[in-house]
Amino acid sequence: MIKEIIKYPTPLSVEYAVDVRVFNNELFALIDNLKDTINENNLDALSAYQIGSFYNVIVVKDDNDEFVEMVNPRLINHKGRIITTESTAYYPGKTAQIQRFETISVVYQDRNGNDKSLQARGDFSVRIQRKIDYTFGATFVQKMSKEEKEKFEKSLENGINTTNADYCPTVFFRDKILKLINVVMFFMLLPLVASFFIDNEQTLQTLWSYQLYTIYGVIGLNIIYFFYAQYEGKRYVACSSCQLGNIVGTTAISLVKLFVITVASYFLLHVR
Amino acid sequence: MARLVVLGGGVAGHTTATFAAKWLGSDHEVVVVTPNAKWNWIPSNIWVGVGQMTKKDVTFDLAPVYAKAGIDYRQAKAVSLNPEGSESSDKPFVTIEYTSADKAGETENIEYDYIVNATGPKLNFGATPGLGEGSQLGEHTVSVCTADHAVHASEKLQEAIEKMKGGTRQKFLIGTGHGMCTCQGAAFEYIFNIEHELRKAGVRDMADIKWISNESFLGDFGMGGLHMKVGGYVVSSKLFAESLYAERNIEWLIGAHVSKVEQGKVAYELLDGSTGEETFDFAMLIPPFAGVGLKAYNKSGEDITDTVFAPNGFMKVDADYTPKPYAEWKASDWPRTYQNPTYKNMFAAGIAFAPPHLISKPMKSPNGTPINPTPPRTGMPSGIIGKAVAHSVCDMITKGENAHLHEASMAEMGAACVASAGKGIFTGTAAAMTVYPVVPDFEKYPGTGRDTDYTFGEIGLAGHWIKHILHHLFIYKAKLNPGWTLIPE
Repeated sequence: MIKEIIKYPTPLSVEYAVDVRVFNNELFALIDNLKDTINENNLDALSAYQIGSFYNVIVVKDDNDEFVEMVNPRLINHKGRIITTESTAYYPGKTAQIQRFETISVVYQDRNGNDKSLQARGDFSVRIQRKIDYTFGATFVQKMSKEEKEKFEKSLENGINTTNADYCPTVFFRDKILKLINVVMFFMLLPLVASFFIDNEQTLQTLWSYQLYTIYGVIGLNIIYFFYAQYEGKRYVACSSCQLGNIVGTTAISLVKLFVITVASYFLLHVR
Repeated sequence: MARLVVLGGGVAGHTTATFAAKWLGSDHEVVVVTPNAKWNWIPSNIWVGVGQMTKKDVTFDLAPVYAKAGIDYRQAKAVSLNPEGSESSDKPFVTIEYTSADKAGETENIEYDYIVNATGPKLNFGATPGLGEGSQLGEHTVSVCTADHAVHASEKLQEAIEKMKGGTRQKFLIGTGHGMCTCQGAAFEYIFNIEHELRKAGVRDMADIKWISNESFLGDFGMGGLHMKVGGYVVSSKLFAESLYAERNIEWLIGAHVSKVEQGKVAYELLDGSTGEETFDFAMLIPPFAGVGLKAYNKSGEDITDTVFAPNGFMKVDADYTPKPYAEWKASDWPRTYQNPTYKNMFAAGIAFAPPHLISKPMKSPNGTPINPTPPRTGMPSGIIGKAVAHSVCDMITKGENAHLHEASMAEMGAACVASAGKGIFTGTAAAMTVYPVVPDFEKYPGTGRDTDYTFGEIGLAGHWIKHILHHLFIYKAKLNPGWTLIPE
């Protein structure tokens, strides 16, 4: 049966790619559907993930244009590296430069659960690598260099990570609070520098009193950051609780910086 | 007065003994038999192995701690069990052989009412020719399995760094030294710490680093891999690990059974049946684990080791050991109470219990060589199991032998894993992961077998802090300092 190939920006799946444990008619039908879909769309390879199945199954055409069915494939060894220009059915009309292994050793199972292995090189090797990426829930994007990924992301209307219910933003409003704290603390350094050029005791005391108000302000901002950051993180179910560690750490670092500025201010402005 | 004997003073044994001593008080007796004089926080051995901590930082003397807890401490190794007693007495006993300097080699029979086997593993270096003899590390490679091994590894690492500074290129081979190893996580952490130290020493460009392991995919970790939330996105541990190796320019070879180790090279067999050799100047290869080789005898002195222990030397407990194909593995195969099915006053905790089967997908080469990670049972699961077993034994002592047993199935517990890449407080990128449950439950969580809301990972500095905190917290707890019971396993 010909199946619809999932295409960007539809998320590949809400499930996760997993190994096949039971070799039965459901698996045979899946493999046959992959072949039919490859033929219909004139493709050279397809993973089950691309047609909405979460099983680790791929079908790839070899150099003789024959189908190779691979269940639970694993890439165990490799030699050499090549840069290829690749396209994938998930991102129609898009290409990207990807670094791949030239020669690979793969172990897998056939549709009856028998252990198999093969060595592949050249285009066949690249096709298998591309499809194995999908078996663990990725696309070729995860194999791109940082620069290539940035370039590719710019070419996509909705970015690489399309919005879904499991989305956890990478940029938060709390980062703006942190930026404000850092800017304020930067300006707190200015009176310290100025103190080296000011001899008037009264001016220094005035600067110290302003500095004191700012110190209270930064402490307040840190408190706001600490609690708001946790509130913001909890708004997204997909954001992990490890964030708490980062929030605590970020606040601690900020307070250490403030402490250093406070001590310096005390000695340079107040008791000089 | 009942007597509980705990064999082993690692995470599981120490947890069992200390909680039992606290709950039983002075009304009953708790005896710990362990060949070691010191307790070792094993996760921090990684930092000892790269010279960032000393042996003293990760160990402490057991004797004063056990004296404080009212535990009878015997520095000795268990040799055999007589769960039915002897022809002259019905009282079960364990035969021990002292390892302390003053009584080395002396043997003694200790009678018990209840016994907990928490001996941990025998580091089976001898399983791979050239890796070592029996449980002794060989001359060609290093290890981070014990604090002493880690100190040795650190010295060898420094030698390698000096050579690189002198202009000699060095090749580092890190991973597993046999097709049936566990603890890939420790080797994974060590390779990234090595890479970090080489970078710090300014010799990274003089080093070739390669990972060799029995995993069939990077990121298997003996748990069949996991899908976790990283920065809010769901990522397979395979992609997570692959990107770490790629970013740090570390080569890899997986699905490998190291079949022989010689000076400067290892021979291996891969899952596809091919064989090859890999050279090295510095190699840290984790050995496979086995039971410590305890024997068991019945009342008339006949060997009943096969009844009490599985063929790999680990103790049989309330698991379903019926051989089954991968497709039929169930979470319910895993033990819940860790009670020996034959002798109800015997329990096993931590690595010492025999798992019913692997967690990772079973795989073998066309030559029939099994090449797959064996189940990890270290750290957090060991502590949780140790506490549950202590609870059960205490209830059996205080409420009677039919008391309800406490349960701690690895198919119903989570585990946290922190893999550092350096030791810095302000720099570094550790990988912190939690997985729930450790053993996938494919019936409860169709697909991956895991609850993805509780299976997540982060790459970042937080992992370093967590590792630092855990180091101090668990050593504090193990020393039984005030409030130790409040610190979770």
